[in-house]
Amino acid sequence: MRTFKDNMMKRLISFLLLAPLAAFVPGRLEAYELNLGTNLPPVDFHGFVSQGFLYSSAYNYLGDTSKGSFKFTEAGLNASFNPLPRTRIAAQAFTYDVGEAGHYDVILDYALAEYTFNDHFGVRTGRIRRPQGLYNDIQDVDVARTFVLLPQGMYDARWRDFYVSLDGGEFFGTIPLKQAGSLSYEIYAGVVRPSNDGGVALEIRGALPAFISLDSIGSAAIFGGQAWWNTPVNGLRFGAAGGFLPAVDFTTTIQTPGGPIHPDNQTSVAFQQFSAEYLWKAWTFQAESFFRNVYPDAAGMPDTHSLTWYGSAAYRFNKWFEAGGYYTEYYGDTTHPDNSLLYQKDAALTLRFDPRDWWTFKVEAHYIRGTGLLQDNPDNPSQNDNGWWMFAVKTTFNF
Amino acid sequence: MLLAVTLPAVALDGVVVIANEAVPLDSLSAAALKDIYTGRTTYWPDGQSIGIVLQADEMGGETDAALNEVSGMDASQFRTFWQRMVFSGRGQQPRKADDAASLVAFVASTRGAIAIVPSNVTLKGVKIIEVR
Repeated sequence: MRTFKDNMMKRLISFLLLAPLAAFVPGRLEAYELNLGTNLPPVDFHGFVSQGFLYSSAYNYLGDTSKGSFKFTEAGLNASFNPLPRTRIAAQAFTYDVGEAGHYDVILDYALAEYTFNDHFGVRTGRIRRPQGLYNDIQDVDVARTFVLLPQGMYDARWRDFYVSLDGGEFFGTIPLKQAGSLSYEIYAGVVRPSNDGGVALEIRGALPAFISLDSIGSAAIFGGQAWWNTPVNGLRFGAAGGFLPAVDFTTTIQTPGGPIHPDNQTSVAFQQFSAEYLWKAWTFQAESFFRNVYPDAAGMPDTHSLTWYGSAAYRFNKWFEAGGYYTEYYGDTTHPDNSLLYQKDAALTLRFDPRDWWTFKVEAHYIRGTGLLQDNPDNPSQNDNGWWMFAVKTTFNF
Repeated sequence: MLLAVTLPAVALDGVVVIANEAVPLDSLSAAALKDIYTGRTTYWPDGQSIGIVLQADEMGGETDAALNEVSGMDASQFRTFWQRMVFSGRGQQPRKADDAASLVAFVASTRGAIAIVPSNVTLKGVKIIEVR
């Protein structure tokens, strides 16, 4: 149980992380450079802080949104530096609070060393952001996309501790294909460290019956990769990604008439994602599909196969205004596609304003059917297939 | 939808590509220039880090048209692309200069720097990179 003192300490640490960002707000924001001397390149600093507000007409989703929720905060501060030829080091501290996940814990988001042998081959090691599709490695960076909420079946704002970073390394590079464009790749292996307060933990807790409680989730090995075919058509690329976690361990407590028992549980997870993006004049078109397959080891527990897809379009009218929309469908169990407790279909419309390079403001509306992504929140009324609305407002400062 | 296939040559009307004098190349193919502006090439052959420099608040000018031609992205898409690179730990964001004169001065004084500038700008202390 978190104490008041714990929470205050975390908010204080978060404030200390955010304060340097806020100090830049009145002026023009660009990267801050720290010069280390005439013979060394400078250290580049960048950062962002986002605050959002969520309101939903029916259910509590990503927080207590039926009453309106400001628990939608993200902030990061990063530094990068080229100390030697072909070598780069970079690190980012990050904090977030989305609904019941995050709690302003300040985490080391990435901290990596990179050596690029040539355009075709490089190595990155440390804590790295995991590439998957168009947005996995930047899903909490509001300025890097049109929408406030990305399609949540694919880029769940609560799951970042599980999906976004890994401790390990990757190979990367781009292979020219002559007239066919080029192929960019990243192949990674490492360990993910899900938090006991993170979105995965919340979802498992929500899925367990009342007499079973989740105690902890262990670190899990992960490996996979992402490939992009950069076609010879300007702005058009196609991607494919895959990943595998052979053993995700978590411990539970089961209350029995003979007293509590603490069985170990294990499951494996595999996923694939396919992506397409086309930038044409002021338009951005994107489409992706994501397949996640969960294989519990426990006898009697069924495998689960989920699917999410979306298509989106955005148009930039001028430097300060963009509008976009997407339609997405999530099926938590593809063997029951008609069960509204397991699917969520979402049509979203977003207006994005960029009054300054360093300041972004977004307004977004969602019309949603189904409640398949609400299962981690017990504070919801009985659910049905009636459509419901969700509204999001978010502002971000970055430099 | 009509798809415009990229031609081997790139039309950079009214602009020139400049670089710091220590950059070990005098010419680039259009494809190599595109690889630089899309983050696929991040180092010069001698290992110097490539630093893209842009003119701040440029939108709709000749250099924006050239940036679009080179990268396949408009100014907004280009900014978003590099924000993705920076905040995912995969690259360093292009630097910005207030006007063309300060941009040229910045390129002249920064190892590995490259920029696209209007061809009527006075160039001093930089080299012109021929785009083949």
